[in-house]
Amino acid sequence: MTLTLLEAAILLFVIGSAVTAALLRDVLGSIIAFAGYSLGIAILWVYLQAPDVALTEAAVGAGVMTLLFLLTLVRTVRPPSDELLESVGWRGATAGGALAAALLTTVPSLPAIGDPDAPVVAGEVTQYYLDNAYGETEVENVVTAVLAAYRGFDTLGEAVVVFAAGVAVLVVLRQGEFV
Amino acid sequence: MIEDLLLTRYNYVVVVLLLGIGTYMLIENSNLVKKVIGMNVFQTGIFLFFITSAYVEGGAPPVVEHGGHGSTYVSPLPHVLILTAIVVGVSLTAVALALVVRIYAEYGTLDENVLREVRADE
Repeated sequence: MTLTLLEAAILLFVIGSAVTAALLRDVLGSIIAFAGYSLGIAILWVYLQAPDVALTEAAVGAGVMTLLFLLTLVRTVRPPSDELLESVGWRGATAGGALAAALLTTVPSLPAIGDPDAPVVAGEVTQYYLDNAYGETEVENVVTAVLAAYRGFDTLGEAVVVFAAGVAVLVVLRQGEFV
Repeated sequence: MIEDLLLTRYNYVVVVLLLGIGTYMLIENSNLVKKVIGMNVFQTGIFLFFITSAYVEGGAPPVVEHGGHGSTYVSPLPHVLILTAIVVGVSLTAVALALVVRIYAEYGTLDENVLREVRADE
């Protein structure tokens, strides 16, 4: 896949809003920048032919997550800010930069984007799912078939995590005193 | 070399940048809510890595009609893993934010440095 102008624009928007979220002093501004970031990411999923993930990201990432952040802000404090941006701290910049630099050295050894011979795409597992998912589960969407049938236990585990998180939130907030 | 990286592996470069930005936010932003945002940025960086690895040139979303093999499809497995990861990520964020609300109720501040001083005084 060659880089189209529109896609480059979305990627730049995503990075730009992430940097904005990092540097804005105002927490509300940071949350709004993060909501925009999630939306950009959701559009990116559409470009990468992952509509299921895009829907989830738009509903959960940009929707529910923003709501959670805003609710937190209502219950806590939005520190008053005189300046627009935070100054860049050297500790974080060094750690983040070092991590990025170390990871960047591994990027050239990854297969090119869209390479049909890439291990993930050409792999046995992918081919098995694409060839047999409909025959074995009668679900046309292979993502659904894998999620609910082949990896059903994984999804059960996910449900357990969501349940545990719900319980944890209620315990931490001492439901009754707070809600 | 750099041109090749940007033209054929641009998404991976963005992944690396997002991981860097996420790390920066986790370390440098003293506001706890912004730390949680940083955690989410880091997370989506990893999601982008997975979804990009599933992409194939000219591939269609993995919806097979009647088991047909007409065209190429992108790999469904990373999509499934990331769907799970997104939901788990939201659960994680909810718990983290609940803790943030509790910390504020207990100490009256969300600033990491002030919090450290208050706790040192106790």
